[in-house]
Amino acid sequence: MGYGELWGATHVELLAAAWATLQLAFGALVIGLIVGLLVALARLSGNRAMRRAALYYIELFRGTPALVQLFIVYFSLTEIGVHFSSFQAAMIGLGLNAAAYLAEIYRAGLEAVPKGQVEAAKAIGMARHNVLRWVVLPQAIRIVLAPIGNVAISLLKDTSVASLIAAPDLMLRAQDLSSVYFMPLEIYILVGAIYFALCYPLSLAVRMLERRTRH
Amino acid sequence: MFDTTALNKAIEMLPYFLNVLGIGALTTIGLTAAAFAVAALLGFCLALMRLSRSRILSLIASLYLEVFRNIPILTQLFILYFGLTYIGITLPAIGAAIIGFGLNGAAILSEVFRSSIRTIDRGQSEAAFSIGMTRSLAMRMIVLPQAFKVAIPGMANFAIGLLKDTSLASAAAVPELTFKAKMLVSETYQTNLIYFLLATIYLILSLVLSHWAARTERRLKVVKEN
Repeated sequence: MGYGELWGATHVELLAAAWATLQLAFGALVIGLIVGLLVALARLSGNRAMRRAALYYIELFRGTPALVQLFIVYFSLTEIGVHFSSFQAAMIGLGLNAAAYLAEIYRAGLEAVPKGQVEAAKAIGMARHNVLRWVVLPQAIRIVLAPIGNVAISLLKDTSVASLIAAPDLMLRAQDLSSVYFMPLEIYILVGAIYFALCYPLSLAVRMLERRTRH
Repeated sequence: MFDTTALNKAIEMLPYFLNVLGIGALTTIGLTAAAFAVAALLGFCLALMRLSRSRILSLIASLYLEVFRNIPILTQLFILYFGLTYIGITLPAIGAAIIGFGLNGAAILSEVFRSSIRTIDRGQSEAAFSIGMTRSLAMRMIVLPQAFKVAIPGMANFAIGLLKDTSLASAAAVPELTFKAKMLVSETYQTNLIYFLLATIYLILSLVLSHWAARTERRLKVVKEN
């Protein structure tokens, strides 16, 4: 059986699984963007305990493998009575993981706007929320967009780890299909090509953004 | 949930867990170090290829980068694992993992190396040429020693990422830290305690790594200021 035939036989299932992978990545990104913002605000807050808690969150999630985090969300939380499906557990685990990286990106973006601009805006009588809305955020968003894109790409690739807690994503489907057709190498190459087709356009978009911010 | 017999049992088993996980951690460290060496060597070659004047070499390096950076490492490991078997090479799982993480890491490190070399002012190599140094000599004696310092934070970040990524080798039955933890869980059902220990060990390893990198960076900076 060649690649053409194999693709003919498996593409319906593979594309359905790729769709599940996209949903997983998107859900995790949304969780990450929201939780990451909260962590970043805590990190920049005036309260010392909040700052420390945010720092611990970041260190903890960046210092341990995503796979171990998924094990804990899926297996350990079950043990103490919190039940998630493997798909939900993967989405939550990957989202909380991404939040740690996104929090640092937000912080860098907010800190990159010079303090003098905020002071100048206040000096001409702008209200605090107006300073944020019209001076800080428009510049910060431009700075964080490309790094957020990079996190999205990593997240899309990291969803493959979800297969190790049996979440029904593209990698898990690949495992099933390779034991059906006994052609593991060919199946994994096809799956690799699908991941590439999903990630490469994102990579190009991020590179374009990076070039634009630099000029 | 917290009846004392269960707690006592967990405490009794703790030395055994730590013993098994300790051996797994050593394998993880070895795997990380070996894969780092492969990635550094190959990544350096790729960086030079991308910076070279030959368009073909630079194109090959770019293609390599795009392929390895846009496919999940887990997929790459599986392709390599089955690919090697397909062409008749049977490596122990850890050997395949070292090659897989090394090939993948080379793509990441080559970008770290390339951008560090780029930060070195052109005047430096021009000055070297003007006193009669060849291109390769100027690279070796003038540019690379300076670029190395710039590359340290990027290399450290990569090393920490690699350390965490090696947990994926557990899917290919490499007897590293995560694999040992999974074995212990299915042997004793002490899920919470074992995964807590697992996360703690990874956290300690990555914190040690990042502190070590920060210290090395500081030390090299002092030399530069003198």
